[in-house]
Amino acid sequence: MLIETDEKPDSYKLFPESDLQIWMIIPAYNEEKFVGKVLKDLFNLGLNLIVIDDGSRDNTYQIVLDIIKNHPGRGYIYQHPINRGLGATLKTGIEAALNKNADIMVTFDADGQHNPEDILPVCRPIIEGRADVVIGIRDFNEMPQHKKRSNQIMNLITRIFYNANVKDSQSGLRAFNNKAAKALDIESREYGVSSEIIREIKHKNLRMEEVPIETIYTDYSLSKGTNAKIGFKILVKMIREILK
Amino acid sequence: MVMVYQYIGVLIGIIGIIFTLLRFREGKMSLGMLLVWNIIWILIIIISIFPRSTGEFASLTGVGRGLDLIFILGIIGCYYLIFKIYNMIENIEQEITHLVREIALQRENIESKKDEENKKIS
Repeated sequence: MLIETDEKPDSYKLFPESDLQIWMIIPAYNEEKFVGKVLKDLFNLGLNLIVIDDGSRDNTYQIVLDIIKNHPGRGYIYQHPINRGLGATLKTGIEAALNKNADIMVTFDADGQHNPEDILPVCRPIIEGRADVVIGIRDFNEMPQHKKRSNQIMNLITRIFYNANVKDSQSGLRAFNNKAAKALDIESREYGVSSEIIREIKHKNLRMEEVPIETIYTDYSLSKGTNAKIGFKILVKMIREILK
Repeated sequence: MVMVYQYIGVLIGIIGIIFTLLRFREGKMSLGMLLVWNIIWILIIIISIFPRSTGEFASLTGVGRGLDLIFILGIIGCYYLIFKIYNMIENIEQEITHLVREIALQRENIESKKDEENKKIS
């Protein structure tokens, strides 16, 4: 059943001054606890959403489907029949957004760690034509110790292997314009994708800006994301890539 | 005097050749791989029948004993195969990811079209 809504589409509430099509790309893997709230918050801001369910074994798909049904034309869910990792999921999302003729694509984690109010500051440099890519920078001083350390190591590794010096290489909140999204050549299937995006920005000479964002730490979001084990995996991948 | 390992070697070689031929006939092996594997099996048979021959190869390459040469070649061969298999798996993973992405994108397309049609009908 489809419901006609009077709501103005196309990110009207958040960006009344802009005609640009902004699409959120939300990768979700076993996120049934928080994805519902995240989606509702974003819909309330008037944003267009693309959710990619990366072969979740829990109820993620059904929860997302039920919510986007109430926002026809503004929300779509794509489902990977099997789990393929964050990198593969983001790539699917970018392709889907390009198919929808998105002008700006914003990646946003489904675990509730990002503040939706940060989306506007992250998009602004692109709207104003100053940047092709914007990376949301988390405050490392607010991070719990072990998270801080593993993220610092990832920054260092990104610097050594890709010769790219960024403040937060593993951030999940980023914005791309159409040109950047088309230029990105992502091969990494798993968490290494965050560093790979940084590499691509450098290789393709894209203009990048870094914007501070807030991170909402809950026990749940802490259990996800970059930890020592994932960091080690990414390191092995990067070494392999160099040897290729 | 004929040693037991010689019989075993010849037997393994023959079984190997039969298996590779069968796999080739079923179309599960390329012609190149058939040749490579058969050369390996034939070498195993030859070495089993004439164990001394390895000594001559060894002195040719400068490795002390014939058996050492076989071990070295064996290990190099194994590494090569592991490398090849590793690359194959990596390629297969990439292809699977590509397929999964296509499936996800197309399914959504179909769903959207269905919704649009339902909308028109109602």
